[in-house]
Amino acid sequence: MTAARRAAAIATTLLLGACQSYQSTFSDAAVEVHNFNILFVIFLAVCAAMYVLVIAFLIAGIVRRRRAGDALVMETGRHHESHPLMRTGLIAWGTLVTVGLIALALASFVGDRSMASAAAHERLSITITANQWWWDVQYNSSDVSKTLRTANELHLPVGVPVRIILHSNDVVHSFWVPSLAGKQDLIPGRENDITIVPTKIGIYRGQCAEYCGTQHAHMALVVDVDSQADFLKWWQHQLQPAPPPRTPLALAGYNYVTNRECAMCHNIAGTPASARVGPDLTHFASRRTIAAGTLPMGKGNLYGWVEDPQSVKPGTKMPTIGLQPNDLHAVVAYLETLK
Amino acid sequence: MRHGRRQLGLISAVIVPASIPVSAQSTLAQPHAISAASAAPQDNGNWEMPGKNYASTRFSAMRQITPANVRKLGLAFTFSTATTHGYEAPPLVVGGTMYLITPFPNYLYALDLTKRGAPTKWVFKPKPVAASQGVACCDVVNRGAVYDKGRIFFNTLDGQTFAVDAGSGKMIWRTRLGNIQKGETITMAPLVAAGKVLVGNAGGEMGVRGWIAALDEGSGKIAWKAFNTGPDRDVLIGPRFKPPYPSDRGRDLGVKTWPPEAWKIGGATVWGWISYDPKLGLIYYGTSNPGPWNPDQRPGDNKWSTGVFARDVNTGQAVWYYQSSPHDLFDHDDINEIILADIPWGNSRRPVMLRPARNGYFYVQDRRTGQVLSATPYGYINSSRGVDLRSGRLIPVAEKEPKQGRVTRNICPAAPGAKDWNPAAFSPATGLVYIPHLNLCMDEGALEANYIAGTPYVGADVKMYAGPGGNRGVFTAWDPVRRRKVFEIKEDLPLWSPALATAGGVVFYGTMDGWFKAIDATNGRLLWRFKTGSGIIGQPISYRGPDGRQYIAVVAGVGGWAGAIVSGKLDPRDPTAALGFVNAVKDLPKKTTAGGMLYVFALPR
Amino acid sequence: MSSRFRVSCIAIGVAALALTACDREERHNRAKPLGETVPAGESPDTIYPGSGVPPPLDARAAMYDNNAPAIAQGQWLYTQMNCVGCHSHGGGGMGPPLMDDEWRYGGRIDQIAATIAEGRPNGMPAWRGKLTQDQIWQLAAYVRSLSGQPSKDAVSSRPDEMSGPEPETLTAREPQKQSDAAEQ
Repeated sequence: MTAARRAAAIATTLLLGACQSYQSTFSDAAVEVHNFNILFVIFLAVCAAMYVLVIAFLIAGIVRRRRAGDALVMETGRHHESHPLMRTGLIAWGTLVTVGLIALALASFVGDRSMASAAAHERLSITITANQWWWDVQYNSSDVSKTLRTANELHLPVGVPVRIILHSNDVVHSFWVPSLAGKQDLIPGRENDITIVPTKIGIYRGQCAEYCGTQHAHMALVVDVDSQADFLKWWQHQLQPAPPPRTPLALAGYNYVTNRECAMCHNIAGTPASARVGPDLTHFASRRTIAAGTLPMGKGNLYGWVEDPQSVKPGTKMPTIGLQPNDLHAVVAYLETLK
Repeated sequence: MRHGRRQLGLISAVIVPASIPVSAQSTLAQPHAISAASAAPQDNGNWEMPGKNYASTRFSAMRQITPANVRKLGLAFTFSTATTHGYEAPPLVVGGTMYLITPFPNYLYALDLTKRGAPTKWVFKPKPVAASQGVACCDVVNRGAVYDKGRIFFNTLDGQTFAVDAGSGKMIWRTRLGNIQKGETITMAPLVAAGKVLVGNAGGEMGVRGWIAALDEGSGKIAWKAFNTGPDRDVLIGPRFKPPYPSDRGRDLGVKTWPPEAWKIGGATVWGWISYDPKLGLIYYGTSNPGPWNPDQRPGDNKWSTGVFARDVNTGQAVWYYQSSPHDLFDHDDINEIILADIPWGNSRRPVMLRPARNGYFYVQDRRTGQVLSATPYGYINSSRGVDLRSGRLIPVAEKEPKQGRVTRNICPAAPGAKDWNPAAFSPATGLVYIPHLNLCMDEGALEANYIAGTPYVGADVKMYAGPGGNRGVFTAWDPVRRRKVFEIKEDLPLWSPALATAGGVVFYGTMDGWFKAIDATNGRLLWRFKTGSGIIGQPISYRGPDGRQYIAVVAGVGGWAGAIVSGKLDPRDPTAALGFVNAVKDLPKKTTAGGMLYVFALPR
Repeated sequence: MSSRFRVSCIAIGVAALALTACDREERHNRAKPLGETVPAGESPDTIYPGSGVPPPLDARAAMYDNNAPAIAQGQWLYTQMNCVGCHSHGGGGMGPPLMDDEWRYGGRIDQIAATIAEGRPNGMPAWRGKLTQDQIWQLAAYVRSLSGQPSKDAVSSRPDEMSGPEPETLTAREPQKQSDAAEQ
């Protein structure tokens, strides 16, 4: 393959890859990212036009270079015959630049104001607390007994402005769901917020966008945008405590989970395990991924994760306990019941 | 106390229709507060329950010791309890015998007062589990035993209640009520009322679910048990429940005012005092802080924490409830003593309760309904703006709210409040409440608390220090009818000892560096003092000895939350130690040492 | 000496110097978990009946005692597992202080690890089976830093919470004496 063909192949792959929409800034799934994209196009158009003109003039200048004598003439400035063109050119250029800048400023202002007005009346408030290396998601409610705490997955109702309050428990992280909105940092000791108005039902992927330690790369967030009715149904379901274990194996798993290491860090509503250091596991099996997007949910992955998290996500806070095979079977069986 | 005066204006403005300037309108013989007659019977010279009587007046009717002769008070005898942790209990005196209950290991001594030198009659050793020391938040104290019908009842740190024969010292029954694996202990003094022994648990800092239980006096079996969080059927809230304010009315508020499941580890324990009105048949007690201290983890009012319950003594059914600090932000438990009094009201008297509470307000409430008649600051407060008497709610100051991940500075009063557990005394002779209390402020940083059963569930870094004025303690004589201070004595160290009032016109209290003081009940003039071997945090009592003389007794043994730096040998280089108290009393180890010595004083023959 | 040879010498010297810091920063993500038990640490007394020769120190002491990641992880666990609730930031409270030189049950890292794993009769909970050995030793390494024992380049230079005592990089080393069992 020639060098040119190779370059073309790479370029095509990259371009096509950018078109996938579950984690793409070019998607159209929320008011914020929609506005960003319009702004992007305007900026791209204006700046590209200016760029092309500048390059054109530069090339013209290089190609049509003057002879040595004329340079002297220019400096004395007494020959005006060549200048009308220069004057009109400069005026035109100045006008172009001014118009371009005004266009950019206007576009920026209008885009920002429209995002602000879309986000003005939030109807849902979510608090996300970032930890190393997982997302603690709490859905707030005016009825406090309906507040919901889950982890690593965000469910949003379509068309509803959602205000996400951002905290951090340790270091600086950054909340970034490219398909929905831009980045916003989570800074320890400070409360930031971001408002999103999703407009398209679908599943999107977000990730931490600020280096936060060894496993920064494995700190993803799955965002599920549902219809409003489905969202409320999901919330209702998530409020239910974990069902009691029904099989002997699950019961053995329940006993292990609530009496041993697991209960030191995890919360499973309806059981004695009420710790908050690690992700809430009450409806763990209903999530799509394990360990903040590191592995897809599934039996084999669960076995691997529970037995040796340090191999999957080295340095993570969950220790490798070294479960005996019977305990491992039991724990995974119980975890699978937490739908 | 600028805030106090401003506050006074607000409260007066709201309750002018109900409040009466006493001297102008009352035609009563005594135009001041007197003890509730049904709950404070004639003094028989004994001291049979920690509050002296069901009205919790801590007032002795004996008048042999007066301001004129108290300077002649001398030691009659002493006794070493062989323990060196905080001693918070009063000695009991019944029928020529004195009973002492010690902090862990909770020995019960009986001393024979009829013989010279008060020799020991017997010792009862309940042998509580040593591991319970690891789940007791604030030193391994015991707040007292109680005598009734020939038996002594007391609680042990590991959650048991004992009934011991007062004559022989033999155990009659014991009942296990608390589970240390969940972080529960019992430190409070029980109350015996209407044939029931009332006991409550401790552990608001350990994520414990609070309750109060009534045991049958004869058998020790549980007659009823009421939780203080959770669904109405657990809290024994039924048709009789008529709270005075709208925010306490509703179904299952003990669940609805918490995030899901948080009420199960929500605190609201009963580690303080219980009073009883035999005429109304109601017991009154307060509940502790909600858990954890970090308020961001428990949005909502967090019922039924930091409030006062009135319950029917026979069935435990709740009759009314008032929440002094909804969604408590500062660990302002409401377990302080509840003094039952009758105050002038028009041409008669209104049955009320007087409560100097942790949040800094002196509450006067009608004890039949719970309605707040007045809530006046008796210490410096900048964390709240007052109590709205129409809704009954405390008005918080938003800037002082602890937020997770931040440090909030200069919160007054600090976590132990304007006054902690150490009870005031009420003198029906002068009508004044004698309050030994604190002047402390704090910085608090809230963090996410992790719940692991049997370990602390707090979520706060605290540093306490002296409040405005620089004195860490203050002794106030408070007029509950006129709602103001009559006199005040500033003390360098925090006051962690209860007070004793006597009809002779002398009031007694102790300081944390061991000075046992006698002051004039009318003007606070220091009349006499004695330096004991250890700081005093225990209840002084007055009794009539077998020889007819008036004796004053107190056990000196520093400790408790305030004295933990000495009793626990903590390190003053960490200001957050002992939940922040160490920073406020870094100088205490130089001023006193641990001990556990009984001192009994009398006038010379 | 030719200049190239000199340059190589310097390069080797610098590399050797750089490598000396490796031990302090070595992470053991998958410290051996299976089948280990912390030997019930020797009693704090220092009488060894018979020969009087003390047993050899546990091999893990070297792995954890001056190890920066272990101390950092121990600091995180100290708050999350509620050690701070009883022992505050070393000053004590419900539990005894950890920043002074009095150790009821011994102040060597293996003795502290044994205390954490076994629990102690006057109220220290037993964490065996609730924390892994790796976590227990990390906690023990951090506890030692509260009294200034590890070298100052391995300890944390700032606390995670509101300032309590001074940071561990400034903490003077408390003397490690033959620990006598302090009275209860």
